[in-house]
Amino acid sequence: MYLQKTLAKSPRWEAGTELVELFTGLFLLGFLQFHLFAVSSIILGQETFNRDSQFLDEYYISYIGIPLVILAILVHGLAAMRKAPWRVEEMRIFLQHSRRLQHLDTWAWLAQILTGLGVLVLSAIHIWSTLSTWPIEAAKSALRVQSGHFSLLLALLVLAEIHAMLGLYRILVKWSWVHRQKFTKYLVYATLGLVALGFVALVVFYFTSVKV
Amino acid sequence: MAERLLTFSIFRYNPATPEIAPRMQEFQLDETPNMTLFIALNRLREEQDPSLMFDFVCRAAVCGSCGMLINGRPGLACKTLTQDLPDRITLMPLPVFKLVGDLSVDTGVWFRQLNENLEAWIHTDKEFDPKSPEERMDNALAQEIYEAERCIECGSCIAACATANMRADFVGAAGLNRIARFLIDPRDERSPQQVFEVVGTDEGVFGCIGLMACDDICPMEIPLQQQLALVRRKMAWAGLKGK
Repeated sequence: MYLQKTLAKSPRWEAGTELVELFTGLFLLGFLQFHLFAVSSIILGQETFNRDSQFLDEYYISYIGIPLVILAILVHGLAAMRKAPWRVEEMRIFLQHSRRLQHLDTWAWLAQILTGLGVLVLSAIHIWSTLSTWPIEAAKSALRVQSGHFSLLLALLVLAEIHAMLGLYRILVKWSWVHRQKFTKYLVYATLGLVALGFVALVVFYFTSVKV
Repeated sequence: MAERLLTFSIFRYNPATPEIAPRMQEFQLDETPNMTLFIALNRLREEQDPSLMFDFVCRAAVCGSCGMLINGRPGLACKTLTQDLPDRITLMPLPVFKLVGDLSVDTGVWFRQLNENLEAWIHTDKEFDPKSPEERMDNALAQEIYEAERCIECGSCIAACATANMRADFVGAAGLNRIARFLIDPRDERSPQQVFEVVGTDEGVFGCIGLMACDDICPMEIPLQQQLALVRRKMAWAGLKGK
């Protein structure tokens, strides 16, 4: 018996953290796809995009949603990071183990950690630049895309979708009844489809004429 | 089949002679039809180096003592045919377990500790009456329990697990599969809440990050993804329900 361990051990807290990671992940997954489809309304024209943006504004969905999303990103990040190999020894063990094993799912964890860190940095820039030109309007977004944010947003799109779909895969593997071979390919198709949709939206923004 | 000359690169270290550093040693051997790694290693020991250490008992994937890293992946040497491997074969001992020497590791102490920590036995207040007939069990349930019972404790899933490699106190797939067996066994009178106190932790089921190398590598092909998910769902539910 070790005093500090006996006092600190709490299965309830450890299970709770796992569930917090799960539900913030699912919430962010839902938000990401909602955001993608909302932004993609630019494909149908500037009026559609502005109408959607105004709708979210008018019913205070943006004002409740955005702080919730920022909070969820932080909480999810912290909860998920607790299992990552941060100590130098752990990191070396993990990398050597992955190289020896040559196992796709094990490599996928490294991809999950790296895309997660990438999303953390890029989404912070994205949120900051969007909020500093509030409210969201098609012309302002187009101007942003055309003045150097295209590659940043493309990188964020790809990283976020890969991270989200790897996360969804992991959730299904960990909690569902279904063998992973049965759903892997659908998740790959979904990732490709969603990235393609986002890419088209970005290209439309790039060629949208902006009246200055 | 054209006869091949196989090159074995084998990890050598004897803890009794720590002055000789761990190293990889190369051996060459002509391949014979249906040769297993068990046959190859025995020939190497008999013909080339009598000091080579490795474990075998049953030669038939029943005892679980010949687990080792075969070209980086855990597997049973007795069950692995050289014809399924390239000309160059690298053999290393399983990680996580204490090295006895060369390819031999001590899985026994690790598994004994695991089973003691998990209290991996039937907990019941019923008095055992040797004269009464056995209680009947539904055949489907007996099959389900047997599915988990097929584990031979070879340690492959533990060696394949990134978490078990990094964190010494993680129970791994073998431990969680063992718990799954008791969770579905009606003779075990432990409530899910009682099991939760032991397994609903970061050393237990919530330490698993779902990399599924265990499921891909298990030499007995136990459906570990489903077994782990079963424990995870039951433990999350037990945690939410409370005492």
